[in-house]
This record gives sequence, structure tokens and C-alpha cells, in this order.
Amino acid sequence: MERAPAPDGSILASRLAWVAAAAWLVAVSAGFALLWQYKTAPGQRIGAAPTRWPAGTAMARSSERATLLLFAHPRCACTRASLAELARIMARFHDRLEARVVFWLPRGAPEGWDSGDLWTSAARIPGVLVVRDVEGREASRFAAGTSGEAILYDREGRLLFAGGITPARAHEGNSFGQERIAALLTTGAADRADAPVFGCALDEGTPVRVSRTVDTTTQGETR
Amino acid sequence: MSMARKALEMTQAAAEAIVQRAEARFSANRKESLASTDRMFAGLMLAQWAFAIFIALVFSPYGWQGKTKAVHMHVWVALLLGAVISSLPVALAWLRPGETLTRHTIAVGQMLWSALLIHLSGGRIETHFHVFGSLAFLSFYRDWPVLITATVVVATDHLLRGILWPESVYGITNPEWWRFLEHAFWVVFCISVLIPSCMRGVKDMRVMAERGAELEALSENQWRNQSVLERAANDDHSDR
Repeated sequence: MERAPAPDGSILASRLAWVAAAAWLVAVSAGFALLWQYKTAPGQRIGAAPTRWPAGTAMARSSERATLLLFAHPRCACTRASLAELARIMARFHDRLEARVVFWLPRGAPEGWDSGDLWTSAARIPGVLVVRDVEGREASRFAAGTSGEAILYDREGRLLFAGGITPARAHEGNSFGQERIAALLTTGAADRADAPVFGCALDEGTPVRVSRTVDTTTQGETR
Repeated sequence: MSMARKALEMTQAAAEAIVQRAEARFSANRKESLASTDRMFAGLMLAQWAFAIFIALVFSPYGWQGKTKAVHMHVWVALLLGAVISSLPVALAWLRPGETLTRHTIAVGQMLWSALLIHLSGGRIETHFHVFGSLAFLSFYRDWPVLITATVVVATDHLLRGILWPESVYGITNPEWWRFLEHAFWVVFCISVLIPSCMRGVKDMRVMAERGAELEALSENQWRNQSVLERAANDDHSDR
């Protein structure tokens, strides 16, 4: 049986649908490529973390376990992923590690600017001490420029690792940073001592390194 | 022509008529089923878009650079990329319901929604369940090639990200070369149950159409016989 020829309008509409589908595929691919680019763009490094625990810091270092500092912007949504990964690290290495989440507080910030769900989430992680870093002095001291930067020192105060612990911006999951921290804590060695950091910038401009002799007004808060 | 032959030809013609009627019923039901599933997915696409905007606004409204805030990339992505993903499936479901291109576009769109929601939720492992839920929803079409299209989208996504950004797919930074097979296995596991189910569904539809056609033919015959008898009775009555 022969098929009746389709009307011209129907053929045209069908072709248009296929062209629209091709254009749509190109558009969604471009959209995902942009998203991918955003998520995998690491934050800017502002310098190298001190190789020894700085003498002028107001933060306490554990002499029995390694100490991990996680610098965080209190309003950076991307840092939620870093805190989730920190919780996983602490669950695994709670017997070898003490952690401090250091929330950056800018000059002139109103009361309660840094309190929010990130602060609460960090305070809930067992083995984590949450501290406030007024005017980012500790961040400058430890050369942390991006929210989510983790800096690990051994119990003698030697720098072991400085970098991020998420695979991308605002994205949970295993990462090079986590693997390296795990390797350092279990075997004492890792292929590298850094990893890209993904998160919001801690300061608008080029940060000014603060002299090690300057006291900070960091306030500690236990969980 | 003998009476027997004539009777045989009449039976054959009646059987052919039933087959044609069954095919027409099946086609109409199938088209309606596909079109209604298209409409369901059009609604789902819009709901997913609204949900994506909601989670972006609630969980990541702003990006920060020091004290300066700006609308977070996730909000723009949910709004714009979400609109693009939903646009063609919704348009085709509205303009060309029940067509092959429509449901395959919807399958691609639905798997892209899985990827976008995984990104917007920050890579939470729980959001990955959207992939398997979507495969189950796509099986409502009872058209197994749609599941293959969806699987190809997942496989392509895994292949590309597995090469460029392995930790985002596999949760480890240096996956073994065969790791993609493990992920593929669970998708294949899912569709290996759904595909036979789709085929059985179509078979059931066809059986229903055949039974419906037979019943229609029977009832028509009955009506015709009854009419003949009634006419004969009427004629008999008027003769008296």
C-alpha cells in the first residue's frame, strides 16, 4: 500500500522541529560548558601558607594531633560543600585531627553578619572549633584568600598541606585535596601538598599581609 | 461459486476487517497514550524548572567577593539554563504531541534536568537518584528506544566528565579504567527491567485493541442480525 504524500506544511514543520532540536542541543551544551567553567575555576591564591605554625597567631594548635584550619566566608554558599567534606574528613580522622573553621569577618560588618547556617553547620561537626577572624587577620597570616581553603599542620607545627577539599565550586565529592590530606594523615606522605581551592574570595581587593607580631582579635567559640 | 467458498470469503473479509479495526484502535490508543505522557512530562519540565529556581534562591542566592555580593551563578543557571532545557520539550509536547522526536527530546531534557539538579544541589549524592526516577518515568511511554536515548545521554555525560573531571562522576580522583562499567551496569540493570516491561505494555495494548475490535464486530453482527429478524417480524406482521 502506498503512503499518501505528506502535505508541504507538515514536511516543513517536521524539518523545523529537527532544526530546533539541533539548536536546542547546541544551546544546552553551551550552558553546561559555562556552568562547568564556573565550577572548575579555582580561587586566586594570595601567597604561600607559612611553612611553620606562625608565632603571632591567636589560634591554638594541638600538640597531640594534626591541626586543620578551614578558612571560610560566612555567607559563601559554595562553602557549604567544603563544610560537608570537612565533616567527612573529621568522621574518618577524628582520632588524628583537630579542626578549626575560621570565619572571616570584614571591617565594619554589622552584628550577626557572620552568623548563619554555615556557622551552625560548622559548629555541629564533632572535633571542630569555630572561630571568628576579625578583619581577616588570620586569613592574611595564613595566606588564605579563598573560602574553603584548608591548611594542615602536623603536631610539631610543620605545614603539611594547603588547598581545597572539594572537587569543584559548590560541589561535594571526593577531591585531590581530600585524598592528599588522607594520605598525609595515614602514611605521612602525599604526591603533592596542595590542591585548587573553590569558593568565594575572602576579600575584594589584594589583601595586605599582616605582620606576624600584630595581635588579632580572634574570638574562639567552642561547639 | 459454491456456498462454502462464499462463506469462507465472507469469513476472511470479516477477519480482515477485525484486524484493520484492531490496528486502528491500537494506533489511536497508542497515540493518545504517547500524547498524554508528553503532556505529563511538559508539566514535569515546568515543575522542575520552578524547583530549580527555588533551590537556587534558597540555598545559593548570592555569590560573594569579600563584602560584595552578587546574584549567584546558580540562580542564573536555574533561571536561564533551566528555561532552555525545558523550552523545547514543552514546545514539542504542545505542538507535536505523540511524535517520535517529541518523546526523544523529552528523554534528553529529563536527563539534562538530572545533571542540572545535581549541580544545583552541590553534587549531593541523594540528587543522583533523580536519574533512576527519570528512567522509570520515561518508561511510561512504553517505547523502549526512549530509554536508550536517555541512557546515551547519561553515558555521554559520564564519558566526558570521566575524562575531564573524574572526581565529579566517580567520587574518586583516579578511578580505575573500568569504573564507568560499574556505573553503566546500574543504568543497564534499571533499563533491562524497564525495556521488557515497555514491550509487554505495548503487547497488552495490542491485545486490548484486538479484543475491543472483536467485541465491536460481534456487537455489530448481533445488531445486524437483530435488525434482520426485526424487519422480518415486521414484514410478517404487516402481511397479516
